[in-house]
Amino acid sequence: MRKSKLYKLLTGTILATMLLAACNSEDAGSKTDKGSGEKEASDIEVVFIPKMTGNAFFESGNNGAQAMAEKVGFKVKYDGAPEGTVANQVQIINSAVNSGADAIAISSVSFDGLNQALQKALDAGIKVVTWDSDVDPKYRSAYINQGTPEILGKMLVDMAAGQLENPDDAQQVAWFYSSPTVPDQNSWVEYAEKYIAEKYPKWELVTKQYGEGNEQVSLQVGESILDTYPDIDVIICPDSTALPAMAQAAQNKGLDKDDVIITGFASPNSMRQYIEKGTIENHGLWDVTDQGALAVYIAYHLAQGNDLKVGDSVDVPELGKVTVEPNTIQGYDYEAEDSGIIVLPERIVFTKENTSDYDF
Amino acid sequence: MSKIIGFMKHREFRTVAFLIALFLIVGLVNSDFISIGNIQNSLKNSLLYIVLAVGMSFVLLTGNIDISVGGVVGLSAAVSGMIIRDGGSIILAVIAAIAIGAFIGLINGLGVTKLKISSFIMTLGMNEIVRVIQVIYTDGQWVENLPETFKKISQLSFLGINSLAIIVIAAVIVVHLYLSNSKSGRYFAAIGDNEDGSILIGIPVNKFKVLSFVISSVCASLAGLIFASQIGFISTTAGLGIEMTVIAAAVLGGVSLSGGIGSVIGASIGAIIMTSINSALVFLKVPAFWNAAISGSLLIIIVVTDVLIARRANKKAKTERLNARISNLQEEV
Amino acid sequence: MLKKIPKWNLVLLVTLISEIVIFGLINPRFWNMNVLLNSFNDFIGIAIIAFFVTFVIITGGIDISGGSIIGLTSVVAGISSQVMGLNIWLAVVLAIVVGGLCGLLNGLFIAYAKVQAMVITLGGMLLYSGIALVLVGISGASTYEGISGFSQGFINLANGKLFGILPHSVVLFIVVFIIAYILLHRTRYGRYIYLTGINQNAAEYSGIDTRKIITSTYVLSGLSAGLAGVILTSYLGSARADFGGEYLMPILTAIVLGGTLITGGKGGVVGTALACIIVGFLKLGLQMGGVQTQYIGLAIGLLLIISVAFLGIPNFKSNVSRLLGMKKSRGGNLNA
Repeated sequence: MRKSKLYKLLTGTILATMLLAACNSEDAGSKTDKGSGEKEASDIEVVFIPKMTGNAFFESGNNGAQAMAEKVGFKVKYDGAPEGTVANQVQIINSAVNSGADAIAISSVSFDGLNQALQKALDAGIKVVTWDSDVDPKYRSAYINQGTPEILGKMLVDMAAGQLENPDDAQQVAWFYSSPTVPDQNSWVEYAEKYIAEKYPKWELVTKQYGEGNEQVSLQVGESILDTYPDIDVIICPDSTALPAMAQAAQNKGLDKDDVIITGFASPNSMRQYIEKGTIENHGLWDVTDQGALAVYIAYHLAQGNDLKVGDSVDVPELGKVTVEPNTIQGYDYEAEDSGIIVLPERIVFTKENTSDYDF
Repeated sequence: MSKIIGFMKHREFRTVAFLIALFLIVGLVNSDFISIGNIQNSLKNSLLYIVLAVGMSFVLLTGNIDISVGGVVGLSAAVSGMIIRDGGSIILAVIAAIAIGAFIGLINGLGVTKLKISSFIMTLGMNEIVRVIQVIYTDGQWVENLPETFKKISQLSFLGINSLAIIVIAAVIVVHLYLSNSKSGRYFAAIGDNEDGSILIGIPVNKFKVLSFVISSVCASLAGLIFASQIGFISTTAGLGIEMTVIAAAVLGGVSLSGGIGSVIGASIGAIIMTSINSALVFLKVPAFWNAAISGSLLIIIVVTDVLIARRANKKAKTERLNARISNLQEEV
Repeated sequence: MLKKIPKWNLVLLVTLISEIVIFGLINPRFWNMNVLLNSFNDFIGIAIIAFFVTFVIITGGIDISGGSIIGLTSVVAGISSQVMGLNIWLAVVLAIVVGGLCGLLNGLFIAYAKVQAMVITLGGMLLYSGIALVLVGISGASTYEGISGFSQGFINLANGKLFGILPHSVVLFIVVFIIAYILLHRTRYGRYIYLTGINQNAAEYSGIDTRKIITSTYVLSGLSAGLAGVILTSYLGSARADFGGEYLMPILTAIVLGGTLITGGKGGVVGTALACIIVGFLKLGLQMGGVQTQYIGLAIGLLLIISVAFLGIPNFKSNVSRLLGMKKSRGGNLNA
């Protein structure tokens, strides 16, 4: 009796595994051969790692990455965990190394927490590219940068200031984004605060709130901000969950762009409705589809055995020529020939006029 | 005096007292917190949690637990959200949501009663599975740009009060009456209080257990609809971790995790406390990195105080009973 | 010999072996010993805590604060050594002690004030991760960059290899497992834990101070979370307040899959250990087989339900047929 039970358990496990493996059989091709020399495009696998899955921003990046892979003919595996944590990313990097991937393109949740794991990947001959959010430049070849904290922090402030009649007057300003531990948003805000102190010294930063990337909490906190600070003038939300939730909160209260200025970073698909209805005037982002495409292409380019030195240019299909710039533009001290930054050519401010031109 | 103690013994009363205390204390710091507008807002924001807590109470009463509600909220919000976004009728979306809830609840219930899987594990596993199904169904994308007409539903008001809130409150009262006054309603608590005894007196235990899971999941799917309507966009992680908040809310409201004790009114007030803490933190105007520390200590303070009050009230009642008995004896002698 | 191993552990062992066979067939790299041993790094934190939360659950309680104690102790170790300049090993001890204190706080409230464990540890979960954020905020270190710059000696604590082969995480897994095993299964203390879980009143009548026993299990669980926080900090080379936040469900999954009854009184650390490895290898194997991480929850959920459907059921087949035939069955489930 017991034997047959064990047998059944075994069969059950096998079936479940096969089922799962079958779902993804196209990715699971053999890539055991890691021979030397120029590789066929179809032999190259790039693992494209978002901070977390289930976030519109990263899913759009993945759409771009997959489209690029299809066009050029290499493979991209999208691999992330629903919770964006260091331990999860390390685990994903480890498994990419173990399963014999050729390159990694990652948006890191931590500047230094992935160092050990990336070192192991580099030791295994895997090329490392970062996008969206960088790691220590020692541990990657190129960073596909949407803009330095200076550029983005300034952009956040300017998007708001541009809507004010008298930006030099006293204004009540609030920050609202995901959490105090997330690296990129905090670095933008940190710079933006410096910029405000210089350019608009009369602005008063009344509060800084966090929505934890959770829609329900974000909506509630958003409404509470409006209730607690009835005279608030500007709310800046550089987070793709906080911004639509904040706009929804304003809409629930019947407020529009003339009552309170809400702006920040989020994808145009999630904000179109609020722009068209006049709840908000503008918001910004960069073309994350392009960013994802560029990241995997550069990773693929490196995995083919090409060198990429600071100052070099690469011709990317559909995106044109991009140039590798030195790490110093991001304020890093570390400089090396094989470690650089590619800055996306442009960031977009979405308004009523152009929002329908984009789909991501 | 004894009347007050008797009142204090009523678990719901103590929960209400905590809620009032929370509002008064935060109100002292920032009087806007006790404005009608904010109280309405707090109520509106807690509707989602109230509905979940009511459903959870059924399962908790029978001595089981339902961890899968977070996943059900996400899946039903995504599925019904997609129907409405793509121009389907709202009625169809509601039917779809309820069907999803009923189906998942049925599986949970059958797993627990027929396969004898502990409810914690059954629903924990189910939660993981439902989350992945949501990712597959939505292709990992957010459901965005729900139409205005649908979002308006959660904002309608009747005589100045949010109409959804009126419906939910009425429903809570009806459910409370059912659970406390009807014969079959009392079965739920009876099962959790003494399962073997319930079998002996002929209660169809398994049927009511399955029913409790179905009710909990259907409540979760209705909560998913509220989620979609209130928030207007649904991420693939919608409702992540919500189950812990809901369980805490129910327990805060006096529902026992070991079954048999509790009421849906208590659970609903617990839900309002749990949600109001979030807004209270903004109103307190402390730097937001204190938020988690404050809400954690608040939760601990409330439950510990509550237990201490309950124990004192019990002790006093006991001494009074004892004294009464002694005096009775003396009279008889 | 085989008879001595409880049935469920045998089932787990077979599952583990079949996992290794199947995943190896899908991707032969899985059979690389280094890959398997190194993967312990990715679940060592979960395992250490799960061993001692098993104690808590056997007494009939639950501890969901372990994950956030990781973040707190990581920050304590980071701030005391990197910001305040304390010797790193003293900082490690301090961090573990802080973990123990968190556990003590949980335990006192639960055992002496008799508050429901789930709620206290939920409050604790918020409180400890909150304190971690506050500490970082006050210390002036940036909350988002993490505290790094640890000495190589400390980094080696988790990343090194014994004799150049065995990763320290594997050694640690074995050592902590043995400690937990001896405590729970070979001492009077361990028997008291079981007695408390089976019937607290009966245990009390037989002269056991159950409140002390219960408190001690939470202290152990807190200490283990402190240790896990230190190990994770060493493994990642950086201290952050949000470490461990996602460990709640994996810890509980490992324990219940390991055969410990969530209502207390029954279970053991052998099952927990096997279940940790099973879930760890399952994740690794599916990832190496090309499955995206976000879909792995499906496999873990199925594994949990299917395997537990076998657990403790005298006759699974009859259950299935009963389910399919919907025959009336009276009688409740005593161990639900």
